[in-house]
Amino acid sequence: MATLDVNRPMTTEEKKVIFASSLGTVFEWYDFYLYGSLAAIIAKQFFSGLDEGSAFIFALLAFAAGFIVRPFGAIFFGRLGDMIGRKYTFLVTILIMGLSTFIVGILPNYASIGVAAPVILICLRLLQGLALGGEYGGAATYVAEHAPHDKRGAYTSWIQTTATLGLFLSLMVILGTRTVLGEADFAEWGWRVPFIVSIALLAVSVYIRLSMNESPAFAKMKAEGKTSKAPLSESFGQWKNLKIVILALIGLTAGQAVVWYSGQFYALFFLTQSLKVNGADANIFVAVSLLIGTPFFIVFGALSDKIGRKPIIMLGCLLAVLTYFPVFEALTKAANPALYEAQQKSQVVVTADPAECSFQFNPTGTVKFTSSCDVAKQKLAASSVSYSNVVAPAGTKATIKVGETVINVAVTEEDIAAAKEAAEKKVADAKAATPVDDKAVAAAEASVKALSDPKKSKDAVLTANLSAALKAAGYPAKADPARVDSVKVVLILTYLVILVTMVYGPIAAMLVEMFPTRIRYTSMSLPYHIGNGWFGGLLPTTAFAIVAQTGDMYNGLWYPIIVAGMTFVIGMLFIKETKDVDIYEHD
Amino acid sequence: MLKIFIGFVVFAALALFVIMKGGNSLDMGGEKHGDTSHTEPASAPVKAASNTP
Repeated sequence: MATLDVNRPMTTEEKKVIFASSLGTVFEWYDFYLYGSLAAIIAKQFFSGLDEGSAFIFALLAFAAGFIVRPFGAIFFGRLGDMIGRKYTFLVTILIMGLSTFIVGILPNYASIGVAAPVILICLRLLQGLALGGEYGGAATYVAEHAPHDKRGAYTSWIQTTATLGLFLSLMVILGTRTVLGEADFAEWGWRVPFIVSIALLAVSVYIRLSMNESPAFAKMKAEGKTSKAPLSESFGQWKNLKIVILALIGLTAGQAVVWYSGQFYALFFLTQSLKVNGADANIFVAVSLLIGTPFFIVFGALSDKIGRKPIIMLGCLLAVLTYFPVFEALTKAANPALYEAQQKSQVVVTADPAECSFQFNPTGTVKFTSSCDVAKQKLAASSVSYSNVVAPAGTKATIKVGETVINVAVTEEDIAAAKEAAEKKVADAKAATPVDDKAVAAAEASVKALSDPKKSKDAVLTANLSAALKAAGYPAKADPARVDSVKVVLILTYLVILVTMVYGPIAAMLVEMFPTRIRYTSMSLPYHIGNGWFGGLLPTTAFAIVAQTGDMYNGLWYPIIVAGMTFVIGMLFIKETKDVDIYEHD
Repeated sequence: MLKIFIGFVVFAALALFVIMKGGNSLDMGGEKHGDTSHTEPASAPVKAASNTP
């Protein structure tokens, strides 16, 4: 068993424990992220043949599989881990994850086996979600129970790097395959290769994990017959444990999750979707910041062994609450100063009947918001335009006022006819120009085509009118690369990642220290995956809905700010420091 | 620790090389899910990834 008060270098056994646990968890994240990174191709291969109703259901299930199902995996595997042992349980989780991933790679597509293909795919994705739910608690518990008392934060912080490393690994394998095979072959069949490669990663993980010993704390408990017969009842059926689980969620993991998602994924979303930065550039900025920030997981994990877990995690949450607004505003100025200037100068007003306006919460991306108010807000939110809302009489269709220009959201047939006539003239002018600009001709012809299609013509007219008005008001369609302050952008993003490392680096140790050995795996896994799967996973969708509702592209930040703020207050008041806890005291 | 540091630097260099080569075709969204309908980015990474699945 790991001894107390040891101040010595890491032993070979301890290195092996950390390496085995971390490597396996990196591979699990690799498997999990592959799906998201290749989602467009997967959708084409498996979902494109479905009718709209079925597509919606499958989208919902896929969303649920990736996020909602994780806490159930936590419960299932947590219970197993507390009853039969950590080693075998998180061997099972990696087997399930690896095999599911491999099978995705060899699964026939919709064109080959019809609707069975997406059904099986969703089942496999569900298995991945369940496995992920079981992996983290096992890895963290396993490492923590091998660590010396005063190095638990440092040792478990290696696990905390795995999500970021797993993401990069998946991208490297995808691009490597794409480069070797070429785009066409990759889209056709080469996308399967990264999934199939997973079987090799699985073999390595299983080999290493099989050679490991059970956690000494658990082994001792089992030898003494003190393991829990009903970890679920003990964890969640007894108030003295349940209250700690609840506190761990609202006083720790909920805030940690929203800070994690804000720094790791929302920052990228904000750069590309809100600030219109070129995707390639945004990827590089985010990648550099993640790579600079990754070592800080270890730094803060180790620091927490000296000064405590709670101060670092709480400070991370507090800094998020206090600085997200100014930091994201600074990001706008650095990445798209023209947008920032336009937002300061231009007055945009949406006048709409409130009865027509929805809260555009759309986690699966399949809900259609089609009222004139919803369309107006969607278009403005998508263009990162800040606007104010004015109430219109009941039954009135929405209008958008940009400066002095008023645009009717409800486009009439006369509007379409006039726009089509203008577009046809543009085609004629483009063809008559000397020399002929083929791109201009193609663009003009595409415009005529869209205006001739009854399904697209109204949207085409509205988009064209709105774009023209916004352009006149100074809103840029894209971020001008010449005006992007790359250094500042990377610095800001790195700051956001540092906050991530502050809240995430020490948290594995803290969660382990909050619960007794007999119910540790169960009790720590659930708040972690509810926090990260639910609070964190719903961040992008919730943030967008708030932005669309309120007309300010920064207002989406209220979601992580409120949740991190709640965690700060609850954590400060009710969570006790745990770094000096003897995790075997109750064994 | 030195070996780990060197290993990480090599990994980071490789990762950056990959990201730079990937351009717009790489989606670093990782866990995104169903959100594309809302947004019209300048040039998004592989689209409909946000239609996650």
